[in-house]
Amino acid sequence: MKLAEMRDVTFGYGPTPVLERMNLSIGTSEFIGLTGPNGSAKTTTLKLLLGLLSPQRGEVSLNGRRADGRRMTIGYLPQQIASFNAGFPSTVWELVRSGLYDRKHWFSRLKKEESDRVEQVLQQVGMWEHRKRKIGELSGGQKQRVCLARALVTEPDLLVLDEPTTGMDTSARTLFYDLLEHQVRAHGRTVLMVTHDLEETLPRLTRLLVLDKRIRFDGTPVQFRERMDLADRPAPVPLYCCYDDHQPQQLVQLDAKSERVDRVEEGVR
Amino acid sequence: MLEMFQYGFLQNAFLAGIMIALVAPVIGVYLVLRRQSLMAETLSHVSLAGVAVGALLGLYPMLTAMVAALIGAVFVDTLRRSFKAYSELSIAILMSGGLASAVVLMSLNKGVSRSFTSYLFGSIIAVSETDLYVMGGVVALVGLFFWFLWRPMYVLTFDEETAQVSGVPVKLLSVSFSLLAGLVVAVSMPIIGVLLVSSLMTLPASIALRVSRGFAMTIFVAVLVGLTSVLGGLSASYALDIPPGGTIVLLLLAILVVTLIVKRIVSMIQARVGAEQDAENGNGVVRTLGER
Repeated sequence: MKLAEMRDVTFGYGPTPVLERMNLSIGTSEFIGLTGPNGSAKTTTLKLLLGLLSPQRGEVSLNGRRADGRRMTIGYLPQQIASFNAGFPSTVWELVRSGLYDRKHWFSRLKKEESDRVEQVLQQVGMWEHRKRKIGELSGGQKQRVCLARALVTEPDLLVLDEPTTGMDTSARTLFYDLLEHQVRAHGRTVLMVTHDLEETLPRLTRLLVLDKRIRFDGTPVQFRERMDLADRPAPVPLYCCYDDHQPQQLVQLDAKSERVDRVEEGVR
Repeated sequence: MLEMFQYGFLQNAFLAGIMIALVAPVIGVYLVLRRQSLMAETLSHVSLAGVAVGALLGLYPMLTAMVAALIGAVFVDTLRRSFKAYSELSIAILMSGGLASAVVLMSLNKGVSRSFTSYLFGSIIAVSETDLYVMGGVVALVGLFFWFLWRPMYVLTFDEETAQVSGVPVKLLSVSFSLLAGLVVAVSMPIIGVLLVSSLMTLPASIALRVSRGFAMTIFVAVLVGLTSVLGGLSASYALDIPPGGTIVLLLLAILVVTLIVKRIVSMIQARVGAEQDAENGNGVVRTLGER
């Protein structure tokens, strides 16, 4: 079943489009990594998918409905959300509980089982012990886990995360990715995550998208690795700069000729 | 001291003060958290232009101030979205526009300079019974708004994008909140004065944010601080024959300073106790190792 779809989407903040004729289909139980160089419209793609931006051309639909009139549950973790409002005067418990304040809860108290779910999710992300602390007192990694718990408490069909591990140390990142992988494998959720951390995420992903104005690669991590082996082709065309902790700005040359990229992409799809 | 309540104008002033102190700090907490602290200041300047229009046309000045504040609130919200990267520009544009309009309109009506002084700095004799009814209406409106919509307002205040994704009508709620802020600013003017009204919104919020744990507690403390300062300020204003607006704000500043000092002392004591406990634990380890 398709959870979300972008058909022939073009978008620009000015006259120059940052995203051209983008086609993307997202199914259930997928763990998708979205990567690409700076300015490749990764965040824009997420915002279009979520209905936060409207495409100039083309169409975006969620679960068969247009982005504006969605019915499925979506969890969203924007870039640096935790540091944006770090001084928010809420306890961890209050903030995670607020994830449940959708339309049906505007005027009614939470039920017992919903409060239980808050507890369960806090246990899952390892923040139950900190439930009475103010979010401003937490470390960056802990704040991100609280925000993830807030997104998870709605039991989302689709979980969308924009560089969620920025500023986390290696062990915190590993724990975070473990949590996401568990959501996909144990609960059948789909996770779409913008990431530059391919070294850590690639073994866990079921699908990788490389974006640069349009999708340059769409396939499994195994297919991506095979593609990287083609890097010794003559006159390589650098398509994507892959960052890792040990070798900043290590260049991964995906392919030599754009014609071949297109052909292989079609094969992958 | 209690004999002062035999005066009708003082009863009005205290009733008005209590009503304002119940709602202004609540609006203030949301303004501060939404990084719109200067919005109240802007709306008060726009309201002043409304008062000037009212005086010029011979209309009820609080009504014209409210209309001006409502128009200003819609403009602030619209401009904030237009200048997303520099949203404070909307504040600068409207603040100067509001004040410039007020100054020009005032100059056209020479006879109102005295009543303007009371609007600028507040007055305990300026509250009429009509003002009280209007204030009561605004307080009821604010109360209903937050009673029914505090949950989506909480989500919106934490982060607009996640609020929109979870189905909160961000624009509608944001404009409604700005309109309420405008109304509260306009009705607060007779007591606090245009130039100081924003202080009654943001200072209790800043004090509450320092000392509270949890959102509901922050709102409660802000209202408590607001009530204390308004009641204390009005009493001092009557006793010492000084303007109530300035007295209330000075009292708020005094509470803020005391809060900061006490918080600093408590932090120092906590740090010292923590260090002593660490040292004790450290010694404990050494002893344990020594025993081994």
